[in-house]
Amino acid sequence: MKKLLQSLFIVLFFAVNAMAQDRTITGTVTSADDKLPIPGVSVKIQGAAGGTSTDSNGKFSIKVSSSAKVLEFSSIGFAAQTRPISSSNVINVVLNTDSKALGEVVVTALGVNKATKTLGYSQSTLKSAEVNASAPASLFGGLQGKVAGVNISNTSGAPGGSTKVILRGYSSITGSNQPLYVVDGVPLDNSTAGSDNNYDFGNNANDIDPNNIESISILKGSAATALYGSRGSNGVLIVTTKKGAAGKLKVDLSTATTLTNVASVYKLQDQFGQGWDGTYIPSENGNWGPKYDGQLRPWGAIVDNSQLLKPYSFIKNNVRDALTTGIELNNNIALSGGNENSTAYFSYGNIYSNGYLPSDNDSYKRNNFTLKGSTKYGKFSADASLNYVGKTTKFINQGGANSGIGSSFYEDILQIPGDIPIKDLQDYKNKFFNVDNYFTPYAENPYYSIYENGSRYKSDRVYGNINLNYKATGWLSFQFQQGADIDNAISKIWHNKNAPSPGSYNAGGNIEGSSRAADAGDVIDGSVKTFEYDSKLNALFNKELNSHFDLDGLIGVNYNDRGSRVLTTGIEDLAIPGFYQINNSANKPTSTSAESHRRLFGAYASATFGYNKYLYLTVTGRNDWSSTLPQDNNSYFYPASSLAFIASQAIDFSKTPISFLKIRASYGETGSDTDPYRVFNSATRTSVPLGFGTLTFPIFGVPGYSISNQLNSNNFKPERVKEVELGAEIRFLQDRIGIDATYYNKLRKDQIIPLPIDPSTGYSSYIVNFGSVRNKGVELAVNIKPIKTTDIDWNLNYTFTKENSKVTELPAGLDKVVLNTAYDAQFVARVGQPLGIIEAPTRTYSPSGQVIVDANGYPVYSSENVSFGSTVPDFVMGLANQFRYKDFSLSFTLDWHKGGVFYSGTADLLNFVGADAKTTYNDRRPFIVPNSVQKLANGTYVENTTPITEANTDDFYYHTSNKADAYANRILDRSFLKLREATLSYNLPKSIVGKIGAQRASVSVFGRNLVTWLAKNNNTIDPEVSNFGNDLGSEFGEFRTAPPVRFFGASLKVSF
Amino acid sequence: MFSAVVFLAFGCKKTLDINISPNNPLIETTTPEVLFPSAVASTAGRVGGDLTILGGIWSQYYTQANASNQYKTIDSYALTRNDFNGSYNELFSGALADYQLAIKLAQAKSDWRYNLMATVMKAYTYQVLVDLYDQVPYTEALKGVDNLQPKFDDGYTIYVGLLAEIDAALAKDYTSIALSSDQKKTDFLFGGDMSLWTKFANTLKLKMYLRMVNAKPAEAQAGITKLYTDGANFLTTNAGLATFDGTPDNSNPFYEYNIRRLNTTTNLRASKTFTSWLTTNNDPRVNYYFGTANPTPMNQGDYTATATQQPTYASATVFAQTAKDPVWFISAAESYLMQAEALERYYGGTGALAMYQNGVRAAFTQVGLATTSVPAAYLLYSGTFDQKLEKIIVQKWASFAGSHSLEGFFEQERTGYPKTSTVYSTDASYIPGQWVYSKNGVTAGLFPKRLVYPASSRDRNSNTPAEVPITTKVWWGK
Repeated sequence: MKKLLQSLFIVLFFAVNAMAQDRTITGTVTSADDKLPIPGVSVKIQGAAGGTSTDSNGKFSIKVSSSAKVLEFSSIGFAAQTRPISSSNVINVVLNTDSKALGEVVVTALGVNKATKTLGYSQSTLKSAEVNASAPASLFGGLQGKVAGVNISNTSGAPGGSTKVILRGYSSITGSNQPLYVVDGVPLDNSTAGSDNNYDFGNNANDIDPNNIESISILKGSAATALYGSRGSNGVLIVTTKKGAAGKLKVDLSTATTLTNVASVYKLQDQFGQGWDGTYIPSENGNWGPKYDGQLRPWGAIVDNSQLLKPYSFIKNNVRDALTTGIELNNNIALSGGNENSTAYFSYGNIYSNGYLPSDNDSYKRNNFTLKGSTKYGKFSADASLNYVGKTTKFINQGGANSGIGSSFYEDILQIPGDIPIKDLQDYKNKFFNVDNYFTPYAENPYYSIYENGSRYKSDRVYGNINLNYKATGWLSFQFQQGADIDNAISKIWHNKNAPSPGSYNAGGNIEGSSRAADAGDVIDGSVKTFEYDSKLNALFNKELNSHFDLDGLIGVNYNDRGSRVLTTGIEDLAIPGFYQINNSANKPTSTSAESHRRLFGAYASATFGYNKYLYLTVTGRNDWSSTLPQDNNSYFYPASSLAFIASQAIDFSKTPISFLKIRASYGETGSDTDPYRVFNSATRTSVPLGFGTLTFPIFGVPGYSISNQLNSNNFKPERVKEVELGAEIRFLQDRIGIDATYYNKLRKDQIIPLPIDPSTGYSSYIVNFGSVRNKGVELAVNIKPIKTTDIDWNLNYTFTKENSKVTELPAGLDKVVLNTAYDAQFVARVGQPLGIIEAPTRTYSPSGQVIVDANGYPVYSSENVSFGSTVPDFVMGLANQFRYKDFSLSFTLDWHKGGVFYSGTADLLNFVGADAKTTYNDRRPFIVPNSVQKLANGTYVENTTPITEANTDDFYYHTSNKADAYANRILDRSFLKLREATLSYNLPKSIVGKIGAQRASVSVFGRNLVTWLAKNNNTIDPEVSNFGNDLGSEFGEFRTAPPVRFFGASLKVSF
Repeated sequence: MFSAVVFLAFGCKKTLDINISPNNPLIETTTPEVLFPSAVASTAGRVGGDLTILGGIWSQYYTQANASNQYKTIDSYALTRNDFNGSYNELFSGALADYQLAIKLAQAKSDWRYNLMATVMKAYTYQVLVDLYDQVPYTEALKGVDNLQPKFDDGYTIYVGLLAEIDAALAKDYTSIALSSDQKKTDFLFGGDMSLWTKFANTLKLKMYLRMVNAKPAEAQAGITKLYTDGANFLTTNAGLATFDGTPDNSNPFYEYNIRRLNTTTNLRASKTFTSWLTTNNDPRVNYYFGTANPTPMNQGDYTATATQQPTYASATVFAQTAKDPVWFISAAESYLMQAEALERYYGGTGALAMYQNGVRAAFTQVGLATTSVPAAYLLYSGTFDQKLEKIIVQKWASFAGSHSLEGFFEQERTGYPKTSTVYSTDASYIPGQWVYSKNGVTAGLFPKRLVYPASSRDRNSNTPAEVPITTKVWWGK
């Protein structure tokens, strides 16, 4: 494409020089990279009109007057240069390439390639090398902290888990904030069907093999995405995959082996051991016992008249030692080749990843096959791609236990006192650690969950597209594209049945007389099918109107048909333990099925007017008709326009250090329709929620249907985003320093919200169009190249993102929208506040500012929840450093998120069991809440003299007994600094590579998530993990989920 | 391109007409036959589920174990607007919304049988809500989009409205056409026996009038005497769900909630308040309620006691439950005992003794015991009106445990029986059966009398009245 543009520019820059000339200067312009001549380089005399350009051999000849002092050389894709005119009549010039220079061509909306310089909005491109530097299994694994305004987090510590990608913050209160993924022009399903808070089988965009990616173009703003209309409001990620190139057969091999382990685990108090209420109780799951004394004590159950002995002391690294080192293998082979008319590309990728839990019951396997081809015949050309992805994910239940059915590993491991060696419990059938005799009846052996419970998600996915092109004339061509993405998956989730034998330790035979409830076990079989078909027909034009004006653009239509079907069938209470079949129960299976189907028509047009190659105005418009909207009200128009002014092209900055200056301004509108089936009111099969459990029809053989609790509406419109974006790109000192700054201000209004309504209306929610959120932000990217020589390159990229969101309007009568909850803590949207604040009960104070406590000495909690802060960080900074010395390169990326809060369900449980480091206040001796008063019946206050006794210390930290203080220990600082990625790679010298017949070869060692620094008050868990999906609700925090993963690996890439 | 434009212009409307859910039927397709049993299950699920846990702890049948946590906020009277939203939501948007639609559909086709059944169950469900919250929306409720902020009506207005609704439904001819055999199955209470529905309607009216005796004595008397004048028949059998499948999601809701779905099944331990009364009276029902003749109790609300302080708590008896336990809306015993009270109040006690004894015997039959096993002292019935009322109400209290525990709490608030104790149950002078103030109570010695308006109403409806403390009596309270 670069060459094509160059050729175009040769014509454009043809000019006549009419001035009287004194002499002729000749020379050759070559490229610093490949030392080859560069055709079409513009050669001008500084300060004079006209000029010439180099010929196909890079040679030029220009007549200069005696007054001429300096010659300017510029070309697309190269940094401009100036050379003083001396007495010599020959000036040879070597131009350095500049990927960010004028000529860079990037992929924009609908897959249209455009020169960066014509864009009036911010756009970022990531290349294959950046995507794959540390051989991640998923598309975004290696991109964290690298692009301003793009927040990527791994919400799961398990292999195959979801990746959360959010562009420019959250703006939709209850709708989707997920960007649209487009692969080679076709939208790709990114659903998380089959997953829930307990099982994360990953988002579907993770199916893409990163090795196949040529580039990812990130469009964040509405002007950039307006051509996607009602699917463009959360930004678009356009993935372009590799394709065959003319030439002989090329083979690329890459192989990587990565070791994984847990990145950060909770830091526990190390002073108090097993027990409760200050007493050593060997059947307790808490750390509320006496201080560690190092004495040998018997522990656990007495079995066959014997009991285990261990010192009563804190075991360091207890949790970390219980986890193992996992392995991840990432292999890919790609073959490509072709002639001038036809090309072909084939690749096969294989991922095997086994997480940090023992056994391979936490694992991810994926096979990717890709076949692509293209051919040309006269004015016709066609290309097609076909991808198959087969994957199998095995996932260990996270979050809360399924009470009465089976337990959760992550809840169980938190309930092991700090003096009990977790690792030893792995022998979960051992007589001391089995169901009957595990040391506590209040939890189960965590290893039981790993080996006896489990899940498996297996999917077969085919996606691809066919493109037909017809070049009608030099300036007009037609394109038809048909894409399809079909995924068929089956899932199985199971828990084994178990119950402590009557009379056993865990059936009341322990000192406390407590018994553990039986686990009935279950099997849930699921089938998930998703489909998406996308057709589009475009007419593209590109015309030079006259010497000053040019025009390019397109007109087209798009039809999209997508949906899903989910069928699950399950039984509870296994008849034969360990046999997982839905007929293995005295109970009948229960089934649910849910279909979702939607269609979208779009018609759109876009035109870019160029003036003198330095001023570009783009106008676009799209009209959408959506099936999910009320039929009489389903047509909406989304306009956008943008302006790009390349000041350095229009104005002479040659006497300044400025080598490039571009100013951008844009305005765009995008939208978001809603989920299907929100127009007509319906009834649902009756399943009465009991709080815990349900009462579900049929009952006594009678079917039951109930009015849906959601009141639908035939009177709503799509959510609309209106966004203004201003930006500038400036580079100094021949592009050694570059700054790209963007400011955006967007308003998302008419939000479609299931408005919670008073249940006395007969419904609990009502679909309304109300509520708006304003997001303002600054994105800054600074690029510095301190050293740039043949042998040494040093490149620093710094990004800074500051995003402010503010809920500006909610439906009348509603002061907040609850987005997520955990006990009394709520994650809410509130007018005037950032989108997403966490509120919870807190202490109350007397008029003189003293803590009010109740008769038992506990602080009295506020009747209204108070804000503990927003989940939106104050700012995010990234620093990517790349250093190359000859064939060695070293790079690392730091990612710093400052500010914000999150709720931790892990902290909740750690406080409950007295393992949290914050539970050692006052050495757990009796204390009176400092500066506290009791309120008398007559309204006066007296000094509090009631202590929290040693026996009640545990109650002081639990949310049911001390709501006033509990949440301050559970709502934690979200800040973190991470060494996201570090790679050291070496390009093998040609001499060695040649011996194996290869063109290129490189070896790398790398790591990801190598070091994590958490905020001071957060000893608990990485704030990025969550088991609440990958949208706004997940920003609330986590509820006993897997800690994140650290990766160390090595890779080898060879090209033949 | 042209064809696409044509497609857009003409094919668009039809192609986009795919927004009718394949998952859920349109509301227009529902019938009383599917709505009514759903609503009954909803009422039973909540009144016989978490509200029975609430009612049972506050009626001091059982208390929170000291080795677990689940119900501490109930047992310490620390409930806030964030608690029990689920019941409020489900009873309104689940049960009542479905009764209302069933009534509307039944009336539209003059099906007076479903009209009566749904009306009576609606009134029963509303009565529970009024008694818990004092005021709830009624005249402007259940109107969907036509009124998103319904005003709250005072309890008496609602009672009057409900009684009128019951009377209107009773006035229709609901007996001449019997329910079909399939329709009979949808009546979980009486299998389509409309005469029992008449009795249930009358007994519910009796119960509602009795609730008014403190606040509206004249109206209560007028209502009850009219029932007697009209020769109303009252329930002689239990009204409710006599059993359940016992399978997951198809079990007694109290069992499903407290046993099957909790990882600690021993949260609810015998309360000394109840066990002391049962054992003092040699009441054989102790076996039914606690599975043992000699239960080891905990003192009410003493869940912070340590093993050193109360070593017996570790083995305190768990309240006995099974997956097939019944949920009663009004039991035969309750019906008889209400009649005894009515006869005492308005007919000089004529026939009250028989009704009292019937009630006590029915309470034993209700738990599978022979009437011969009733302790003789229970059948003695004499003294002043207050003494007899105490006997009636205390016997009622002893009959509600587990199956409709909430009524024990309501009746104590209405009548003051069982009496409240001035000392804690650990005190030597404690009188068995008297209610004690929870050891960990946070309401300065005041017993709970109601629930505060739930957040799901307060946060969404600006007509929600100002918060009233949990210790303020409801409109009919004594």
